[in-house]
Amino acid sequence: MDKVKFYEQLAKILDIAEVKGEDVLRDFEAWDSLAALSVLAMADSKYGVTIKAEEIRSVSTAEQLANLVESKQKK
Amino acid sequence: MNFTFHRKRITGVLVVVPENERVFADEMKNFNFPEARSLKLKEVMGFDKRRVVEPGVCVSDLVVFGLQHLFETGALKREEIDALILVTQTPDHFVPPTSSIIQGRLRLKQDMLCLDISQACAGFVIGLMQAFLLLEQESIKKVVLVNADVLSRKASPKDRNIYPLIGDAASIVVVERDPEDSIIHANLKMDGARSGALTIPAGGLRQPSTLETSMLEDVGDNNLRAKDHLYMDGAAIFNFVQTEVPPLLEDLLTRSGVPRDSVDYYLCHQPNRFMLQKLADKMKVPYAKMPNNVVEHFGNNSGVSIPTVIAYDLGPRLLTEQLHVCLAGFGAGLTWSAMLLKLGRLTFNAIIEFK
Repeated sequence: MDKVKFYEQLAKILDIAEVKGEDVLRDFEAWDSLAALSVLAMADSKYGVTIKAEEIRSVSTAEQLANLVESKQKK
Repeated sequence: MNFTFHRKRITGVLVVVPENERVFADEMKNFNFPEARSLKLKEVMGFDKRRVVEPGVCVSDLVVFGLQHLFETGALKREEIDALILVTQTPDHFVPPTSSIIQGRLRLKQDMLCLDISQACAGFVIGLMQAFLLLEQESIKKVVLVNADVLSRKASPKDRNIYPLIGDAASIVVVERDPEDSIIHANLKMDGARSGALTIPAGGLRQPSTLETSMLEDVGDNNLRAKDHLYMDGAAIFNFVQTEVPPLLEDLLTRSGVPRDSVDYYLCHQPNRFMLQKLADKMKVPYAKMPNNVVEHFGNNSGVSIPTVIAYDLGPRLLTEQLHVCLAGFGAGLTWSAMLLKLGRLTFNAIIEFK
């Protein structure tokens, strides 16, 4: 998985210029239920994986989120 | 599970919406929620205007109003109704069936079948299946399929996840035998193991309503909800729709031998704009062929959503034309169901306001 690309897609959802791997999702102003839903949709459409809301809640940083999506892809 | 029906057709569609309109931007001021994010929700999900009943209005009130309108305009005759199917999650009473209450209030004939079905957002397709089955009987020539819900009365006004999206409505759809040799394909799946994703926990016999179940509880994100209120796990429902509905539609198209491009419209249940756009993306169907605008005008009105798309988006057109449509409903149960049929040359197809 191209993480740079993933961070770009995440930045688009959060309506900001850039997301870095170490960024904590909860610290973003736009990180809410709609953003979480948009992440579910992005994981489904771009990476072909289904992630659950509680799995999103269990990760803290953008990199952990990327790893979550990547780990599902490998299964 | 697959179904095939022969020589059946829809001949009229009437949707009844309450006069009372609520506006999302105004309602969101009641929540402790940044305005910019409300605007974003409006833009992405399509939440804008919705119709809700005044306090005390029940399903049978909306339905009696709609049927009386059809009797008065001559679109339907009282004595023609051989069966009345009511699909609802919000009946007037536990006992008797609300369809019987409607029959009594309208003084319909005794020589008829009244049947309540407990289904929600997939309830239009399921109701149609039941209507087609009844029409196999010689004695049943005209079935009135009614979908109606007043779920706003079961939504917590302090729950931002559900309250600003719900709409109330009723639809009255006449179903008859088709003189032409038409074939209708449908399929259906159910998964009761996931029923907790969309539920009203209290108010039935498992957990009767008490003072305790009516108490608002903090459920996170500044939302308050009681056990008497409707609960929806939004993310689980989103995943459910994206995962289960596309293969259901693919199977239906394959089995019926209909190329997806020859379907004129995909008329789906209307939870919100976002979900329908994602569904269209996944199905590789252009947005114009899968309307998603009911929620912005009426709110998510449960099993009435598909008749609302039919009447609002294709109203006058379906009086003269006939279109090849694919219906898809999905929701509580969990239940997901689809149907491929020719729809058109209706005797009526309109929306009226309940006053």
